[in-house]
Amino acid sequence: MTEPVLIGEGLIKRFGATVALDGVGLAVGRAETVAIMGPSGSGKSTLLHCLAGIMKPDAGRVLLLGQRVDTLGERRRSELRRTRFGFVFQFGQLLPELPAVENVALPLMLGGTPRREAVAASRAWFGPLGLAGMEDRRPGELSGGQAQRVAIARALVTRPAVVFADEPTGALDQRTGHETMRLLVDATRGNGASLVLVTHDPNVARWCDRTVEVRDGRLLTAGAV
Amino acid sequence: MPATLGLAWRLLRGGGRRGMLGALLTFAAVAVSTGLLLLAAGVNHGFAQRADADAWRHPAGMSEGRATAVQALSTDYVRGRPVTVVDLAAVDGRVPVPPGMPHFPRPGEVWASPALADLMRRLPPDQLAARFPSRTPAGVLGRDALVHPGELVAVVGRAPGDPVMTAGRDDRSVRETAASPQRIDHYATGAVSPVPQVYQMLAAVASVLMVVPLLVFGGAAARLTVARRDQRLAALRLVGATPGQVVAITVAEAVLTAVAGAVAGALLYAASVPALARITIGGGRWFAGDLWPDALWSAGILGAVPVLVGISAVVGLRRVVVSPLGVARRQTPPALRAVRGLLLVAVLAGFGAVGGSLTGMGRAGLVVLLVFVALAFLAINLVGPWVVALIGRLTVATARRPARLLAGRRLVDDPRAAWRTVAGVALTGFVAGFLCLLNPSQAALDGGPADRLELAVPPDRSAAVAARVRERLAGMSAQVTVRHAETSDDGADMGDGPARDDVVAAAVPGGAAAVDRARTALTGVVPGQPATTPADDPTARHLMADLRTGALAVLAVSFLVAMTSAGITGASAVLDRRQTYAMLRLAGTPLPVLDRARRQETLIPLVVMGGGSLLTGMFFALPFAMGVGTAGLLTLSAFAALGFAGIFGASALSRPLLRSVTADPAPRPD
Repeated sequence: MTEPVLIGEGLIKRFGATVALDGVGLAVGRAETVAIMGPSGSGKSTLLHCLAGIMKPDAGRVLLLGQRVDTLGERRRSELRRTRFGFVFQFGQLLPELPAVENVALPLMLGGTPRREAVAASRAWFGPLGLAGMEDRRPGELSGGQAQRVAIARALVTRPAVVFADEPTGALDQRTGHETMRLLVDATRGNGASLVLVTHDPNVARWCDRTVEVRDGRLLTAGAV
Repeated sequence: MPATLGLAWRLLRGGGRRGMLGALLTFAAVAVSTGLLLLAAGVNHGFAQRADADAWRHPAGMSEGRATAVQALSTDYVRGRPVTVVDLAAVDGRVPVPPGMPHFPRPGEVWASPALADLMRRLPPDQLAARFPSRTPAGVLGRDALVHPGELVAVVGRAPGDPVMTAGRDDRSVRETAASPQRIDHYATGAVSPVPQVYQMLAAVASVLMVVPLLVFGGAAARLTVARRDQRLAALRLVGATPGQVVAITVAEAVLTAVAGAVAGALLYAASVPALARITIGGGRWFAGDLWPDALWSAGILGAVPVLVGISAVVGLRRVVVSPLGVARRQTPPALRAVRGLLLVAVLAGFGAVGGSLTGMGRAGLVVLLVFVALAFLAINLVGPWVVALIGRLTVATARRPARLLAGRRLVDDPRAAWRTVAGVALTGFVAGFLCLLNPSQAALDGGPADRLELAVPPDRSAAVAARVRERLAGMSAQVTVRHAETSDDGADMGDGPARDDVVAAAVPGGAAAVDRARTALTGVVPGQPATTPADDPTARHLMADLRTGALAVLAVSFLVAMTSAGITGASAVLDRRQTYAMLRLAGTPLPVLDRARRQETLIPLVVMGGGSLLTGMFFALPFAMGVGTAGLLTLSAFAALGFAGIFGASALSRPLLRSVTADPAPRPD
């Protein structure tokens, strides 16, 4: 593994009496793709949320490029998610009111890029992802696979350090799922970003450089920390 | 049908916290709407009752040709308050018994209203009681004889030959407060004098101004509930429910909630009646019973509100019923047609054509005005979403920052939803615009001096009357003068008769008690005509003051409705979009950006539509304009300030909700 970009150490997260993470550690190298697998309720999504600064762990620490993430306030974590991370989820991530190109441009605009420039930069992603001509369609007018590719463009448009994907092919048929994974992995690597992917499907996990497995809040496979 | 009702009931109960919140919002909206509709009907009923109670005092003449009594009406004053004096003399034994009395008054008998009887006891006789043939009332007038509970009324029995029963009154210009003796065989019923009619008309206008926003509000609340359930109902369609079944379930669910809301609204109104009855209009408070609309109206309102809510729910569901995927898959919405804009233009043009002649059309003019006001409301409500979509497109085209872009896209995406949030305030803008031109200036409310007693007498009798006035007021330091008709300086030729009267005036120093002592002393100097001061004639002042009170009341109600409406729709908009907000937060969107987008989405259409409605309202009031004046400007400023403050307030209320729905943006707890 190359130099770690993202490190989670001794992460513990409880929901009431339920222990979702029980001392998990995981390191992700630069441009590395890591799949987190596990059955429903194993804690894999919770691990992703803690690593991505969406949730604060009850104990342990998360470092991005050597800097603590878990101790940051909500505002700084929001900023971090907007500028250093990208997200691809199973559904509900595109704004239904915005055309596809504005959905992609939104993170840039939130970062202060003028609208015209943000939209122009976003258009450049449509061709390589096989979306040419769909820039002005709204999410409701796209197929599931197309919508996921728009989400991939949106996740990568800010040139993040790490892309987090939670069951990105969960709502797609196998063929479309494979095509989406190929684009996700290629585009992420092509941009020098790392990928942390949560899935319960071994065929999806196979696209990644490495797979770690979570059971009952613990890592079964060594996370190289 | 029982199965549908059963399923609707199960869905209503099993809707969880969000479903229950939606049902509660509808319940609250329907309760408020029903309460205010009952108020509108109650006020109209109250004015009709007052007109009825006033009618019998005005001599009705004869219907069969044989007089049984002589009746006259005059108005005296005590402490600046009017005392209605009805003089009655029996001509034969078949005299009709006046309302509120057990028998026809015998000559010399005085029957007083409770408030007057009380005053007669409390004030020294030389200030009030000595004006009547008997200083102690023979009885107290019942409720049927009175317009309002605190009214001062005296029914005086006299002999037919009494000078009071033969002398004419100056009733050419003040039919409201005086009527010369007339032979009668029955008492008048219905609205016979102009002022109660004016009040009834104003109440009708106020009702229309209030009712339309209320209906829009109720409808919005109903649709809101449906909007929050349409995902579930779309799922029902997907598993094979027929459009009829989906409609039936929705209607049953909405109507069940609305019936409960209507009953709560009626209880709310019942609880408010004692407080409402204390509001002074037309110179007095209300009999609580008068403020209850009659059974037909009450039943009509309680029945119609749930039906309207059901209809609104069906309209809101149209998309789901047309296509089971209509909700699940968001697509570019079809643009609203510009014909909506033309409709408002047509209504404005129509009113522009006939508006100028409305004031000369009497009652028909009022009906035409009411129809146009209702049409204008409906047109604004139809044109609203179209304008909102237009504003949305302009906002999108010019947006540079994400918040503005999000707001603009949201407006274009669902202009009807955005309109529902601001509709209440925009329609209130119409009301404010309409009323600001009807505000009387302070000058119109000011009376004349309250210490100058006057008697209008024919020129040939003025010297003799002046001499008697001096004699009666001897020792009271009164300064008695005669103002001849030719030298009258008020310039107003009130009557249309051939001759104008001289005015014998007595300036009485010493305040209200001294004036009342002088009034008492002057009783009978001109039979049937009590001496009055220029400040006395209260009708016009009451009307003007009541117009202002009414305008403020209508505005207050409209604002209450608008604010509630904005609060409810704003909160539910956040709840409806909680998933989107959570995802945006998750991707790092700062909360202030989301909040700004949400605010702009409301404020941009509010400014345009509020302003537009205000101007439309002013246009409709132009034919009756009394001048804007300070009060008008205050109304306008208050509208602008309250409108924005209210919307900001309502918006601020949903901010904690936004924070709470985005507090934990994790999409799954896995």
